[in-house]
Amino acid sequence: MPFSKFFLQKGISCNIFDQEIRTMKIQGQKLLFLFFFLAFIMGYAQVKVSGRVAFKNKGISEVNVTLKDTYDGATTDGQGNFSFETSEKGSHILTFTHPKYETVEKSIVIENQSVAVNADLKEQISEIDAVVVSAGSIEASDKKRATALLTPIDIYTTAGADGQISSALNYLPGVQKVGESGGLFIRGGTGTESRIFMDGSLINNYFSNSIPGIAGRDQFNTSLFKGNIFSSGGYSALYGQALSGVLMLESVDLPDQSSYDIGISPIFLSAGFQKLGAKKDYSFGASVGYSILSLMQKALNFNTDFIDAPHGLNGDLNFRVKTKSGGFFKYYGMYNSNTMGVRSESLEPEYDFGLVRLKGKNTYHNLSFRQKFGKYLLNVGGSYSYNESDLNFSTETQERESDRTKLLTDGNYINFKAVLERKINKISAVRGGFELNNTNEKLNFEEVQKNYKDLISSAFVETDLGFSNALSAKIGVRAEHSSFLGKSNIAPRFALAYRLARDWTTSLAYGLFYQNPESKYINGPAELGFQNSQHFVFQVQRSSEGRSLRLEAFYKKYDQLIKTFNVIPGKEQNQQIQTALNNDGYGYAKGLELFWRDNKKTFKNIDYWVTYSFLDSKRDFLNYPVSLKPNFAAEHTLSAVVKRFIPEWKMGVNLSYTYAKGRPYYDIASTFDNGKAINYTRNEGRLKDYNALNFSINYLPNLGKKDAKAFTVLVLSVSNVLGSKNVYGYNFSVDGSRSSAVVPPVNTFVFVGAFISFGVDKTEDAINNNL
Amino acid sequence: MKKYLLSFALACMSLTAFAQTDYEKIMTEKIAKIETCKTPEDFQTLANDFERIGSKESSQWLPPYYAAFSQIQKGRVMMRNGNMQELDGVASQAEKFLGLAQSLAGADNADIHLLKKMANSLRMMVNPAQRFMTDGARASEELNIAEKLDAANPRIALIKAEDIYFTPEQYGGSKTKGLELFKEALVKYNNYKLKTALDPNWGRSEAEYFISLPVEKTK
Repeated sequence: MPFSKFFLQKGISCNIFDQEIRTMKIQGQKLLFLFFFLAFIMGYAQVKVSGRVAFKNKGISEVNVTLKDTYDGATTDGQGNFSFETSEKGSHILTFTHPKYETVEKSIVIENQSVAVNADLKEQISEIDAVVVSAGSIEASDKKRATALLTPIDIYTTAGADGQISSALNYLPGVQKVGESGGLFIRGGTGTESRIFMDGSLINNYFSNSIPGIAGRDQFNTSLFKGNIFSSGGYSALYGQALSGVLMLESVDLPDQSSYDIGISPIFLSAGFQKLGAKKDYSFGASVGYSILSLMQKALNFNTDFIDAPHGLNGDLNFRVKTKSGGFFKYYGMYNSNTMGVRSESLEPEYDFGLVRLKGKNTYHNLSFRQKFGKYLLNVGGSYSYNESDLNFSTETQERESDRTKLLTDGNYINFKAVLERKINKISAVRGGFELNNTNEKLNFEEVQKNYKDLISSAFVETDLGFSNALSAKIGVRAEHSSFLGKSNIAPRFALAYRLARDWTTSLAYGLFYQNPESKYINGPAELGFQNSQHFVFQVQRSSEGRSLRLEAFYKKYDQLIKTFNVIPGKEQNQQIQTALNNDGYGYAKGLELFWRDNKKTFKNIDYWVTYSFLDSKRDFLNYPVSLKPNFAAEHTLSAVVKRFIPEWKMGVNLSYTYAKGRPYYDIASTFDNGKAINYTRNEGRLKDYNALNFSINYLPNLGKKDAKAFTVLVLSVSNVLGSKNVYGYNFSVDGSRSSAVVPPVNTFVFVGAFISFGVDKTEDAINNNL
Repeated sequence: MKKYLLSFALACMSLTAFAQTDYEKIMTEKIAKIETCKTPEDFQTLANDFERIGSKESSQWLPPYYAAFSQIQKGRVMMRNGNMQELDGVASQAEKFLGLAQSLAGADNADIHLLKKMANSLRMMVNPAQRFMTDGARASEELNIAEKLDAANPRIALIKAEDIYFTPEQYGGSKTKGLELFKEALVKYNNYKLKTALDPNWGRSEAEYFISLPVEKTK
């Protein structure tokens, strides 16, 4: 047949016809041709395919419905309905795809009638959509996107935070403003009930050494950390030894570019650099700074009489290396020394003044390593720190200084932690590991010599169970052994999160937390054990584009807190030493917290947040004679932060305000009756309410100038603009008859500074290497 | 007889020939739709259409290219509506298609690099202050690659013009400079030769629109 050959030679795919032609008889060919021709045309006749796509009976929009291997198909509408016409015939496969759901395939047969197909899709479980346990914690990282809180930029632009992480946390729910001492006072907990971690490793001395009544400052540079998770309760089994909460700081990985920076201000000078390797696989850097307060003392009216203006030297070193196999090493080391001396009017009639001098030294080194091995992720980290605090107490009478009493403390701390995590399907994981915390502290106070040694060994295991994108749980357990106490504990942790609606989530958390008695209270033989607390946290959260609302209720039960008595009754309170007697203390804290943040959503360029915390707490611990409202817990705390960036002026204007209801204060003394210590309250009262309005401006003159060699930030900040005379507490004389207020070193502080960074842009190199 | 057979063959051929260009026909039809899409849903539907075509024509780079382009346009509409939170998801969809398109068209396709730039810019918008150094840097990297590959490409000129136009002056942007660049882009549109009728050819009307704006509005 020449025609078929013709078709074949031309390679035109009319094979069906070709075969038909081959078997065709000459007779009736005309008719047949017509028939086939019509049939060929008829093949294009359209048949309607329609249906509905749903997940749990709710229509899904934007599902791609495709008749496989054809161009025919449709996208579902808002109700999940779709409809399209096709000229295809016979058996086909219809696929339903959507990025958030599992793909479904359905076989259909298309004849001449309309085809109706409905499909039920299954939700695809993914990390992005899965609900995460957030009871008790606030995470600030890029992962949390628009609702991110307290990233370094946030902290630097929070008025009144002085660029310090711990101060910025004061504007978050659950954190109490306790001005006279360092530490995070969380939900009726003391400052030492919270712990701060860097890349998983404990930081033993996060705050600098200081004099009683003056809070130590953050020793760690805020810009060192790219994000943080702040947990005010119910935290993970990976962490322990904190009855209240933990702050987990995550240090930066490789910097974006090499840079040099300097900082100039009347109170400090600093300089540093970061060098990024050409292949962006390693970096190293160092910085050094010197701070001194004496210039500002001349300009401002200080409450505190500094006989030796606070001054100090600090430096740090870091390196970060990516290994060829995908591992990542990070090292950070710092050294900080500070000195200060304070003179205050003596409460004792026989002296004119009381003098305290401090020399502090601290060094901290942290090395961490992380690597992925298939489904496993290994995180190993260790830290070493040494802290030395030399306090000298003396008195001054008629301009003659007495002999100095020395209180020398030094501590060596070694921490090690290893965590291995395995992912199980997309949103579940199991992780486990161990932690070692070794403490060796020496105290030297007159005739008292103390050496405190403890090794806390812990093991923990935790699992994240993602049941669906709407429901997940976290179950963990932690076991600890303290060599000093000679005791062990087991602490279960549990949390559940459920998505109520698209923007609404709710979570629950429960946990049992143990903490060793603070070594400063261990000054004599006593049978002691772990102190513990139980947390119950309930949270409802709404987060949408730029806005977040968070409501949290909690109940915290304290047990086996240590009881103490004052060792030497004849000492002023700021030198008073207490010693632990037993674990008969107990207490509770319950409260309600509200947090609202609106990031530039309602008001253009304005980011603001408001926090209110209600706290009801009582405890019988340390030297409290009975169960009392603790002197570090304010019933009502209200704070507001407002930031406005004005692009035309390249300027940010920031305000913050804190109100805290006056805390109670106590003057507690001990007497001895038949060798038994009895504590009693000599004086008590309530402080006046705390108020502070803070203000800051940051001006960025080089903003947007692409060819600018330097990037400058000028900062002016005024804390407590209104000059409120806040009182943090009272000191009492030995006999309890005279008292003096503990006040901030200065009521209103003014800071000016310039931060200049010279970036060495690597973008050009990166492009050249890639082409 | 021969006459009939021949006419049948011809009819059959023309129809099958017609069937062969179905790809071109449907692509032409869908590409024309880009101009009429307004809402994110419109663009999603269009992206789905291109994805469907792509799954059949698995050797063609243009269907995934246009699927990615539709996703990016969807993201840009969402961005204008102030819906930044979901831009990551949109960008990752676009990137999925771009990866596919690049594997078919090769790494030296400037138009694909340009879309990668646009996808990264969408990501940056989720949190500009924080992502400027990461996604923002990646975006400018992709733009530079695209420019080096095809300096005459009018779409690259258009996106550069847009960037300048919409950046506030204090950040180095300029309405007047942007306008000049739109004009330059338009010249490039007039001179650019398309290899095939289906090749990327979007954006001319946008350049014309900005140029046509009354002067006081451009301030």
